[in-house]
Amino acid sequence: MAWQDFEHDTQRCTRCSYCHYIPWRYIKDFDYMQGCPSVARYHWHAFAAGGKFNLSYSLMQGAIEIDDSFLDVLYKCMMDGSCDIACKVQQDLEPLQHMQELRIECVDQGYLMPQHQPFLRSLRNEDNMMLKPRAERGDWAAGLDVKRVTQESAEVVYFAGCRYSYDQELWPTAQAGVKLLQQAGVDVGILGADEACCAGRAYELGYEGELTKFAEHHADTLKTVGAKVLVTPCSDCYGTFKVLYDKIGKKLGVEVYHITQYLEKLIQEGKLQPKKPLDLKVTYHDPCHLGRLGEPWIHWEGKEYKPKGMQIWLHDPPKKYRRGVNGVYDPPRNIIKSIPGIELVEMYRTREYAWCCGAGGGVIDAYPDFAQWTGAERLKEARAVGAEAIVSACPWCKRNFLNSAEQTGDDIKILDIIELVQESI
Amino acid sequence: MRLTTEEYKALEDIVGAEYITQDPVILESYCQVWGNKLEFGDKRHHPPAAVLQPASTEEIQAIVRFCNTAGILFKPSARAFEYVATYLARERGILLELKRMNRILEIDPVNMHAVVEPFVTMYQLLDAAGKQGFYVGKPGVGYSAAVISLACCHQEMTISQLYTSGYGRNVLGCEWVLPTGDVLNLGTANREDGWFSGDGPGFSLRGILRGRAGANGGHGVITKCSVKLYPWYADSPTQFELKRAPGEAISAAQIEKVPDNYRVNVLTFPDTESMMRAAQDIGQSEIACIVAPAYLNTGFHEEGNDEQWAKMMASPPDPYQIARTVPVFVNGHSTRELEYRERAVMAAMEKWGGHLDPAWNTEKIKAQIFMYQIWSTGVQLRATGDFMLSTQGLDGSLESQLRYRTVEFQALQPFADAGDNVHPAMGMSYRPMEHFSLGFSGGIATGIDPWDPLSFAAARQYLDTVYDPDGPCSRYSYTNRGAMMQIEDIEHVHERWGPLYDHADLWLQKVRNMLDPNRVADWSAYIPPEYSAEKGD
Amino acid sequence: MVKNDLVGIVGKENIRDDPAALEEYAGGSAENTPAAVARPADTDEVQRLVQWANESGTPLIPVSSGPPHFRGGTTPGVPGAVIVDLRRMDKIIRVDAHNRVCIVEPGVTFDRLQSELAAHGLAAYMPLLPRSSKSVLAAALERDPILMPSVHFDSTDPMLCTELVFGSGDRMRTGEAAGPDTLEQQWELGKAQISPFGPTQMDPQRLISGAQGTIGIVTWMSLKCRETSELYRAFFIPSDSLEPLIELSYHLSRIRFTGKIFIVNGLDLAAIVRQSPAEIAALRDELPPWVMFVGFEGCGLLPEEKVQYLEDDLAELAARYGLQAQTGISGIEAGQLYPLLMRSSPDPYWKLRHRGGFRDLFFLTTQGKTPGFAATMTDLTGQLGFPRENMGTYIQPVVQGTSCHCEFTLYHDPADGAASELTRRFEAAAVDRLETEGAFFSRPYPGWADVAYRRSPDTVAMQKKVKDIFDPNRILNPGKLCFAAGEKRGN
Repeated sequence: MAWQDFEHDTQRCTRCSYCHYIPWRYIKDFDYMQGCPSVARYHWHAFAAGGKFNLSYSLMQGAIEIDDSFLDVLYKCMMDGSCDIACKVQQDLEPLQHMQELRIECVDQGYLMPQHQPFLRSLRNEDNMMLKPRAERGDWAAGLDVKRVTQESAEVVYFAGCRYSYDQELWPTAQAGVKLLQQAGVDVGILGADEACCAGRAYELGYEGELTKFAEHHADTLKTVGAKVLVTPCSDCYGTFKVLYDKIGKKLGVEVYHITQYLEKLIQEGKLQPKKPLDLKVTYHDPCHLGRLGEPWIHWEGKEYKPKGMQIWLHDPPKKYRRGVNGVYDPPRNIIKSIPGIELVEMYRTREYAWCCGAGGGVIDAYPDFAQWTGAERLKEARAVGAEAIVSACPWCKRNFLNSAEQTGDDIKILDIIELVQESI
Repeated sequence: MRLTTEEYKALEDIVGAEYITQDPVILESYCQVWGNKLEFGDKRHHPPAAVLQPASTEEIQAIVRFCNTAGILFKPSARAFEYVATYLARERGILLELKRMNRILEIDPVNMHAVVEPFVTMYQLLDAAGKQGFYVGKPGVGYSAAVISLACCHQEMTISQLYTSGYGRNVLGCEWVLPTGDVLNLGTANREDGWFSGDGPGFSLRGILRGRAGANGGHGVITKCSVKLYPWYADSPTQFELKRAPGEAISAAQIEKVPDNYRVNVLTFPDTESMMRAAQDIGQSEIACIVAPAYLNTGFHEEGNDEQWAKMMASPPDPYQIARTVPVFVNGHSTRELEYRERAVMAAMEKWGGHLDPAWNTEKIKAQIFMYQIWSTGVQLRATGDFMLSTQGLDGSLESQLRYRTVEFQALQPFADAGDNVHPAMGMSYRPMEHFSLGFSGGIATGIDPWDPLSFAAARQYLDTVYDPDGPCSRYSYTNRGAMMQIEDIEHVHERWGPLYDHADLWLQKVRNMLDPNRVADWSAYIPPEYSAEKGD
Repeated sequence: MVKNDLVGIVGKENIRDDPAALEEYAGGSAENTPAAVARPADTDEVQRLVQWANESGTPLIPVSSGPPHFRGGTTPGVPGAVIVDLRRMDKIIRVDAHNRVCIVEPGVTFDRLQSELAAHGLAAYMPLLPRSSKSVLAAALERDPILMPSVHFDSTDPMLCTELVFGSGDRMRTGEAAGPDTLEQQWELGKAQISPFGPTQMDPQRLISGAQGTIGIVTWMSLKCRETSELYRAFFIPSDSLEPLIELSYHLSRIRFTGKIFIVNGLDLAAIVRQSPAEIAALRDELPPWVMFVGFEGCGLLPEEKVQYLEDDLAELAARYGLQAQTGISGIEAGQLYPLLMRSSPDPYWKLRHRGGFRDLFFLTTQGKTPGFAATMTDLTGQLGFPRENMGTYIQPVVQGTSCHCEFTLYHDPADGAASELTRRFEAAAVDRLETEGAFFSRPYPGWADVAYRRSPDTVAMQKKVKDIFDPNRILNPGKLCFAAGEKRGN
């Protein structure tokens, strides 16, 4: 769909402002009622999804043009989808998809964010958005005794993703993920330096051509190496492979799992047994791309109509909206609960309506202070529920939390779920 | 229209650079609200010249004083989720978005009142007060409605008004920044002895604070307000665990059962008349907290329009049943009281030949009804993104409401018969007040789609019919005009109807002009300082 | 000249300007003797009077109740005023049993209304034993507190709609009564003048509530009534100190316990139930210092069950605060007091029984502050030499207990000049001191208007502006509230 195809949504947005908040009926503490980091940080309604509907409408009317201010409002957004969830409790609108199409339009028309350009160049030239050479991609696995699937086939391809591949501080966790699978007897291999970016982040910036290109590349690669299953410890990659590629009609040809789904399975099968007690009170942070944005894509093609004599908009055929229900929420929690000694406390904003870590949508690149502010807010929430550690399932979440903690001096433990399992095995 | 550099700087000096904007892009999100299409012919009206987010009464005073000096129109709002909420009568005008004034300043559990700032919502206060054993009421407009907006500035029709009243009657004092920038404290507002009275000394200036409706931002800024609290015998809503089945969307999340100390019974009667008699018996017995004639609404809707339609096709709602059914809620501070009240409800039911329809009295359904009518399940605008409370019904006795209903339904019938336009009544709600001692306030809601030319034209025509002072509804109700200004230009409302009502419009105009001699408080949803010359008298 | 003009409006037989009448209405203020007393028959005549007053610049003092007057609200503040005595307008226009609304003209008194309402199974919302000549309409306008806090939703209760004539001479009907139809035409539509709001975005009836006739003259009013029943229970709850009664009262307020609930000290209770000074003094000395009265009826559904559960709940609640609900104390039965509370004082006024005269002062506060105020008053009696045993106290929770009316009655012998002067001085000192301690004199009668307004300059400024709109020539009751006598528009 093009952005103009959302005209009906722009007309029907009522300005209820529910997109600012988590769904009201789920508010547990009014200090933590905000759902949208953008409007929470930048105050004006334009920064909320409803505001973007307004901007679109005004654009269509010719009342405004795309300029620096428009881009600023559009891109100060993690594309985390909290607004989408909250809106859809009350409405049949598509706030997130609308903003996605606006970004695609901006890129197509040449309205580019200068801050993003180095990362896009890096993607095009080096197959990663980390501003690092392709040749160094496999360095994270140096010394790791694991198959390279370009040379030796394996049943499961462990896809590290750009962040794990190049963020040295996170390498131990990336390695730990491999080791856990091996320990469970999984026939696992990696792509190493032959791995390339999933391009999900580029897509979120509006570069849909990159997504298509890399989707096709990955499909070819995985076919070539004969993979059946892909497991990734990165939620961004998971969301891209599982949802975005399907959205654009590209099939990877393999089963896609996030590592938490796989680890849960291994624990349930007894192949991994967390036995060592961990005396820790933890809270779990739902990564957006694993949770609400990890919900499988629902293809629909049809038209809107109103039945005769009734004022209600329907679809032919009926359209099932993605409302975040089928994201991955329980496997990480089940893993945590299987670790002896651990106490799991939930934050106020969880599951479909979790607060974003702050890293998505190009924000960590273009507006690092906003990313850090968002992450700091999440750490504050973790503290508020009494957690000693915040556990996520995505390297981007962990990286942003670490950056935020460094700025604020917060010494809450910041862990990935892989580390918890590794510690307990 | 932009402010001058000096004007912008002067305002920026008051609130700080972070809290003022005249960015044209951002301003586009302050001129599009539901209902605009019907009111203005388009979703978008002209944007304000700037939007500000003041943090305190003092900042607001400074802003307002500056507006007086500079001749800039101003208008306050909370979440601006209301018709005409962002519209300014002149382009040279600013909006004051009060989101930084969001504190519950005090809950006095002994003297049963709460003092709040403008951005505090009813649901937020309901939760905070609930933790101390108090309740504040549930507005039909959903979670985000602000306490001050309702109590002082707009309507305040609540589903619970049988026992929590409304329409400003719970105001126990407020701090009011007048359009001159001066502060007026009503009653004991801001006194250290407590915010317990909004009246006097002498006659009550609440008389110019609001009437059946408020000034909708047109007579200054209410920066603090004390509201009465009501007894509550359960946990607060945030203390409840909502349940939904695996795979169910968020909108399905509900409480599992009606809280202890509350009872919900959905009574069905042979006909509307006996239902209303039973409702009146129960209400006038002063035992209930909700009596909702013909308001058989669980607030539970399927997750989307398609799902809702499928359900309606599979088991169509029976409007005849709805018209003879009344949910009744009772509570009790003691088991004795609760049991007596429930027995009394049953006695009324039996007296008037009613029964408990099993389909509407399952634990799950009753819990859904409870959650919707006591707390909220949000605002239901999914069908087309708009709806219309046509005339806001009528206030007063039940008999007059039933007669008016007939008149308005007759006016509606040609449109309903024609199809493809105004949807036949979504419902008429009768909301009794103060144990029926103030009668009812009623509302007829119709589904419209202002983006559908047929529906738009029909809605307009229908409204013109009911709003015609010489038309079939002319003998009913100017008193509540100014509440539903989204559907008729406010000048039109007052100028056409005022003369029939002892020129209440001219009195209101005098009050308005007295409060705002320099004409800087936006009157778009209040009353203009004078009528336009071309309309004349 | 004045009389001639008035004759043309109300008729010769409805004017009084004999010295006795003028002295009666002057209320002891010789320098402000009125010029005449006019007794209009209907709203038209009231309106014409007001229009004439505007043209001639003659102050008008509306009076709805008969003598004796105690508060000074109807005493002229300037010389040469015309008293508009509304008591000829004494129709009970309608009783609507179904909607529990009655419509009365100014001259209707409580006993007359109660008798009429009783025939329909209804009763009025009563203040505490109003004097027999008290106008029902005036009591509501003055915000006299009613005895039933649980259904006192708003300070204006039981007032609903009104017809009034503003000081400008313009007429208006407020609330649902507004509109082009006559009352009869409205009744044909099933309307009941029951919804008090508006019209539109102001509530004019609040502007005349507590106004002491300075904004407009009310020519009829619709009021809430309630069902009544012969099945009732009544209890005294005695206490040596006020504090536990206040705690119980707060609890009853919080749960919206139905019924008549108030607290009096022994003297006030004795004066209510006894007639002669000796009997009153004797009972006062026998009664406990403080007594709460709670009385409720079996109205509505399952009446016997209702009164029983209320009685059981009350007993439990009282016990929680170390108190006991009793049907009688010191030889008086609560059940005998209950029906008295449904009527006005049988004699001119119960407060005259003890010493022949009294001054009372009252204000709003929160219930929890009343023991402090009682202690202050006791303190002051000692300081100023006022006999403590002659001070009555009445505490009435209002607006569902969110505040309370606190009233001190200073009984004295009016024939004793020294005692009267002492009482006057005591009252003045008490008002000043109490206000300093937080008493909110929301009803600023002449005795304490200056004190009442001293912390509300913003209210004063705004009330003057409002008056300039509705009574631009300042002809209505000048010298009352914050409107100084002789003050012109714009001041």
